[in-house]
Amino acid sequence: MKLNIIQQRGLWWGISTVLVLVSLVAMAISWQQLGAPLKPGLDFAGGTRLQLTRACVATDSCTEPLELADVRQVLGDQGLDSSSLQLLGDDQQVLSIRTRTLTVDERAPLQSALDEAIGPFDPGSTQIDTVGPVVGKQLLVSGLLALLVSFAGIVAYMSLRFKLDYALLAILALAHDVIITAGTFAILGLVLGVEVDSLFIVSLLTIVGFSVNDTVVIYDRVRENAKLSPGSHINDIVDSAVNQTLARSINTSLTTTLPLVAIVIFGGPTLKYFALALIVGFVAGAYSSIFVASSLLALWRERTGQAYSDDPDGSEPQPEAQS
Amino acid sequence: MAKYRAWLGVILVLTIAAVVVITQIPTRLGLDLRGGSQLTIQVQPTAAIPTITEREMEAVQTVVEGRVNGLGVSEAVVQQLGNNQLLVQLPGVSDPQQAERVLGGTAQLEFRAQRPGTDQQLQIENQVLQGHVGELAALQATLPASGEINSDTQARIDKLQADVTASEKAVAALFEPSTLGGDKLTDAIARPTSGTLWEVVIQFNSEGGNEFAEISKAIAGTGRTIGIFLDNRLLSAPTVNVQYAETGITGGSAVISGNFTAESARDLEIQLRGGALPLPVEVVENRTVGPTLGRDSIQRSLYAGIAGLGLVLVFMAVYYRLPGVLADIALVIYALITWAAFNLLGVTLTLPGIAGFILSIGMAVDANVLIFERTREELQAGKTLYRSVESGFYRAFSSILDGNVTTLISCLALFYFGAGLVKGFALTLAIGVIISMFTALTCTRTLMFLAISLPQFRRPSLFCPGLTPVRPDTVRP
Repeated sequence: MKLNIIQQRGLWWGISTVLVLVSLVAMAISWQQLGAPLKPGLDFAGGTRLQLTRACVATDSCTEPLELADVRQVLGDQGLDSSSLQLLGDDQQVLSIRTRTLTVDERAPLQSALDEAIGPFDPGSTQIDTVGPVVGKQLLVSGLLALLVSFAGIVAYMSLRFKLDYALLAILALAHDVIITAGTFAILGLVLGVEVDSLFIVSLLTIVGFSVNDTVVIYDRVRENAKLSPGSHINDIVDSAVNQTLARSINTSLTTTLPLVAIVIFGGPTLKYFALALIVGFVAGAYSSIFVASSLLALWRERTGQAYSDDPDGSEPQPEAQS
Repeated sequence: MAKYRAWLGVILVLTIAAVVVITQIPTRLGLDLRGGSQLTIQVQPTAAIPTITEREMEAVQTVVEGRVNGLGVSEAVVQQLGNNQLLVQLPGVSDPQQAERVLGGTAQLEFRAQRPGTDQQLQIENQVLQGHVGELAALQATLPASGEINSDTQARIDKLQADVTASEKAVAALFEPSTLGGDKLTDAIARPTSGTLWEVVIQFNSEGGNEFAEISKAIAGTGRTIGIFLDNRLLSAPTVNVQYAETGITGGSAVISGNFTAESARDLEIQLRGGALPLPVEVVENRTVGPTLGRDSIQRSLYAGIAGLGLVLVFMAVYYRLPGVLADIALVIYALITWAAFNLLGVTLTLPGIAGFILSIGMAVDANVLIFERTREELQAGKTLYRSVESGFYRAFSSILDGNVTTLISCLALFYFGAGLVKGFALTLAIGVIISMFTALTCTRTLMFLAISLPQFRRPSLFCPGLTPVRPDTVRP
């Protein structure tokens, strides 16, 4: 298999542009409907989430699934009508309630009322998450800050190891991956009500780390090829660099995605969407490294009159020798 | 080859050491895996204290620690978070509602006069209380570090805890109610007296000074004490000398002396200061996971980890043949060393932390993939097996280094800015990435060179299926 990266670059860029546009549109629609580009989860929006599991072993109350109407009744009595409800688990025995931020004195009566009306619930399988509005904002700000700082760190490192234009193009490819991942979750949020939490920001940062890794491997090869054959045009150099590293790019994406697929299959609800975000991001990252970052580099070098890298400026620092 | 034999020895020793560490030092599990409550407590500024400084945080932390101790949760952790927050971790807490209620709210410091005729009773009750406290502490000291508590022990802890609370109530009942609270205490300072003895100076505002004079006058010379209570627990019960029987201790300031060491004086100082702070604390974040849910998560992650690792191992062996199998061995060694490193460094493993670990397996493979792809290329270019392997390692190095450094940059950003769970993920991924560099560059390398030193493995087809045989050392494009 040989890919014609440069020749068909219109196609590759077209695919990317469409995906990015779809993502941006999804986020815009989400902004309009939900007031945020992605549906904010408990971590960012604040609130209280109660997850209760019926105690099935002790009593024989588990023959029927939980009735949401009963739960609504209890919530109404407590003045929490606007809460959202969800039934989880294979036989619908797990109840997840999301309300505004409740203090312990509001939460305790709710729990005992629920316990009486539809319980009993197993205290060992109870999960309580309360995030105050201040903390929510804190988590969001620190997450976004981490994202920005890692972008800056990567630009700095790549400018040091390569050159500034390599670094900026790599960041462009990264932005592409992050936008597509965010867009996918904007769509999931609109269609399935999937929310994003702190783990989503973690997944974005991981995608950044891995995707830049893919790009670096290809750029590394471009640099090496340029040095080995100084007379070649940048287009040919990029083409052969991508093809030489293609097996690696695919295999690495495969081996990192395989454990993630395992998490999607076996992992609990918390990690499922985390792994999914990573899979989307890694696939987008592999694509952007192979097709976009490489062809953009060729275009950039050509436009700036550096198509032939035999100028002394093109020599790059050598990696330390390994014996 | 001697060099590689030596390396093989090192790797073997490391692997055995890793297994020993894993079996000897238990893995520390986060609250989301073992069950428990994690609370973030925000200290609210007031009109009187608009900014919260280090000194105030220290005092509030002591108050919160006192309350946490009152909950009787073993291995509870209280630590500062930022400038105005405290993080409280309560593993295996049985009643999260109660915990949240007890930890919120402003500290209650009171100076209360002892009721007449209760001297003996106070002594007895105090002894009973000390007995319970000692027994509880002894029991908690015997608990295993992993936090696994059987129901019998839990029942005993709960019983002792109830006894302690009851005793504290009994002690408190021996003192008269009082209006002299922490809001009227302006300062507390521990200072050395003569030799190694210390004392604590307390300072009231004018209103507090008057009330304190009244109380001290009432009990001076009687042998009864002033009970200093923080959140209804008796901190100290000093007597007042007979010379103050006429006027009480006036001037708004008093010295508590006794058998204070530097440490105990300082403890009392901070407790008093914490009690004097009219700073309300509010629980702004609560993450509680039931122990059953936690066990469930561990099991699921374990399946996910094993399945993920298994898939990767099979893929590598099928696709890369002999090097793939060697990389698989290196990968298992990698997983063992990383796990041991977690235990050794005391990394608390959370759910995202496990995800970071599983992800780092993929990362560890990447280095091998880079090397083997390069080796294949060199083989196809007609180099000898030995030289191909060698340049495979040499040429892949810069890519491996760059890739790992960029991932580490992300980890660093996450670790620095992230909170709680996010930090756990960044830490495990970073440790994984660093160790994977080591295992890819030494383990795989050593195994590869040892393998090609054996004639039966020296067949290029084992390295690159479908290779058109080229006579060694003839062709170079």
